[in-house]
Amino acid sequence: MGRRVGIVGAAVTPFKSKWYEKTYYELAQMATRDALKDAGITAQEVDAVVYGIYNDIFERTCIPEHPLQAVIGMQNKPGVRISNGGATGAYAMSVAHAYIAAGRYDTAMVLGVEKATDCFDFTSMSSTPEVIKVIGWSGDSFFEQKIGWTAADSYAEVVLAYMDRYPGDLKPEITAKVSALLSEQVKTNRYAQRQFDQCAPAEVMNSRYIVYPFKELEICVYSEGAAAVIFAEENTAKAIAQRTGQPVVWITGVGEANEVSFAGKNLNDWGRIKSHHVAANMAYKMAGITNPLKEIDVVEIHDAFIHQLEITMAEMGFVPHGKADSLIEDGLMTPGGEVSVNPSGGLIYCGHAVGASNIMSAWSCRNEMIEKQYRRGLVHGTGSTIAQYGVVMILEHE
Amino acid sequence: MTVPKKENEKVIPFRFIPDREGKLKRIGRKDYLLMNDAFYTFFERSMGEFTDFFLAIKDKKKILGCRCTQCGIVRCPPFVTHCPDCAFAATEPIEVGQVGKLLSTPPITYFANSLFLEKAPFGRGRVTLAGADTALSVMLYTTSGILTPGIFNKDTEVKIIFRDNRMGEISDIFCVPTAELKPAQIRKKGLLESELNWASPQEPKYGMPAKDDIDSFKRTLKDLIKIAMDMNKSKRVRKAIEGWKRNIAVKCKAGEFAMYINDGDFKIAATKVKKPDFVIACVDPKDLLDCLSYKGAVTDAIILKKLWMSKNIEFNTAFKLDRMARALAREKKEAAEK
Ligand SMILES: [Zn+2]
Repeated sequence: MGRRVGIVGAAVTPFKSKWYEKTYYELAQMATRDALKDAGITAQEVDAVVYGIYNDIFERTCIPEHPLQAVIGMQNKPGVRISNGGATGAYAMSVAHAYIAAGRYDTAMVLGVEKATDCFDFTSMSSTPEVIKVIGWSGDSFFEQKIGWTAADSYAEVVLAYMDRYPGDLKPEITAKVSALLSEQVKTNRYAQRQFDQCAPAEVMNSRYIVYPFKELEICVYSEGAAAVIFAEENTAKAIAQRTGQPVVWITGVGEANEVSFAGKNLNDWGRIKSHHVAANMAYKMAGITNPLKEIDVVEIHDAFIHQLEITMAEMGFVPHGKADSLIEDGLMTPGGEVSVNPSGGLIYCGHAVGASNIMSAWSCRNEMIEKQYRRGLVHGTGSTIAQYGVVMILEHE
Repeated sequence: MTVPKKENEKVIPFRFIPDREGKLKRIGRKDYLLMNDAFYTFFERSMGEFTDFFLAIKDKKKILGCRCTQCGIVRCPPFVTHCPDCAFAATEPIEVGQVGKLLSTPPITYFANSLFLEKAPFGRGRVTLAGADTALSVMLYTTSGILTPGIFNKDTEVKIIFRDNRMGEISDIFCVPTAELKPAQIRKKGLLESELNWASPQEPKYGMPAKDDIDSFKRTLKDLIKIAMDMNKSKRVRKAIEGWKRNIAVKCKAGEFAMYINDGDFKIAATKVKKPDFVIACVDPKDLLDCLSYKGAVTDAIILKKLWMSKNIEFNTAFKLDRMARALAREKKEAAEK
């Protein structure tokens, strides 16, 4: 698997529903400045940058990363932009890991940024319908866009197919409890868009349906913000750690898989999110994990929707299929349970600044591991129609 | 064969296009510039290998799939010309049936993006048509009123319906449950939208009210008038209905009243609306009071059939009412915390 790669610095900007005072240039620079400061290095010491920017339309330009090269001081350094739907940030980290593990570069910064809510619907005088429309341009352009495809309805397809297959799981009172729990956990994340938006389970239950079966308080909120992490190979990482006094959090496993988006014979295993299963197993194998529930202390999962969070936890082997509700019913993820899930509040409460989201998750996972002396963490990203893409990264702290 | 054309329609509806102007937004002590803008691109887009599929829908009211000449799998939509499972053996076009079963329970979009606001609520599911091995994404409607969960499930049998005015695109077709069709309609190939019985909305009838009903109606109406006055004072509520105007008649078992939304103003009054924009009906106005008190949502009450609404398109107003309820609840919660 090549050289050892560790995280030596990380930072996020506040995630907000709208940054009137900053463009994505400045958001990108803010995260960069803080990540470099965290690692105690200068931009000159970074060998390469991988940009995670999901959607050209959000940034209103088709090569949105090109001006950032100057904004973050990366003259004549390699820069590659990853755009993989919701899994953009996770795939960006995977690429940076591969670069360093292969020995091409000793250090790399992964920089995710998204300015999602500049787009605006002038008929309703609000941003949200236009944000959903822009994401709607990500659907299959021949067969699905024109019949109302959205990210939410495509994830709902998978969730409902799972519920057909495993009736009795994903009970409304349990999804409401998961959401309420995340809203409590977000309290300590001062960068979160909804840090003070605590919701009781009843409030979640009573929130309106957006796309059946998803209710408003079970869906991630779109954000603007940036996040950066700095990766380094073993010797460089250890030298940096000595200077900063912060331990290196090592990346010991990476896995990724994309399903196909069509369904039927020989196509998708309908009612499963197989890509998350495959990605997790790939990462576990690399990291030598056989029992994730016992061996992993903290998970930062890409929770586009609560129901999908539960299914993904099953796909990643934390709970059996059809018994995802045991996350709450058996207290697996409640305070004091076996595994801490989304201490950041996840994308539902911290916010979803798409290209930056999974990098925010890595930032949070690393913080938790250092602060709470956790041994192992897991960062997950998903994206595209029907949760087609899956990326899993295992972090370890000696 | 006719040229695809929708009379007097532009590829971007005019109402979506904002004026060329900007504004200032004050954050703290500084003003920031906001500019109206667009990221527009027009296409003369080739349908390439999908041409026959779309023209078959438009001109022949047929659905085509493609069959692998080696393994025989029939894919619909015909998204490949060569089979990736058979070392890219060629596929050939083949007509498939117009009745099929849903692969799984389909989602229902209640809150659509700006392009589909007027089509919501709608379902989108995957139907495996007779003779096909893979599933086609289709929009799903019911002829029985607003689409609610339970009408379409896994394995529900559905029938392809063709729009009368077809452009040669996937939105030229949708599906309804065969349970809502007559046998002859199910058998007929190329069944048109205009051949369906889209029953005109029937207001529910609740029978004669008892004295208790009338007393309860009067009490609840008082509470409703009070909550409307609270809402009218709330900045957030007013913002939620900025630019929105609706006169709504609310008909209950024991009486009728009016809800007026008028560009930020909100009022409930014990009057009858002469020409309402639409009608809401419920046995007991308590169901509506609960929604406006943020104990349940108007949209949910419609989905759960506690409230009835005369126009599908006014689901948008239901969303506004929910937003208003949430805004007021938040304000009260914040005030209580202080
Ligand atoms: Zn074949």
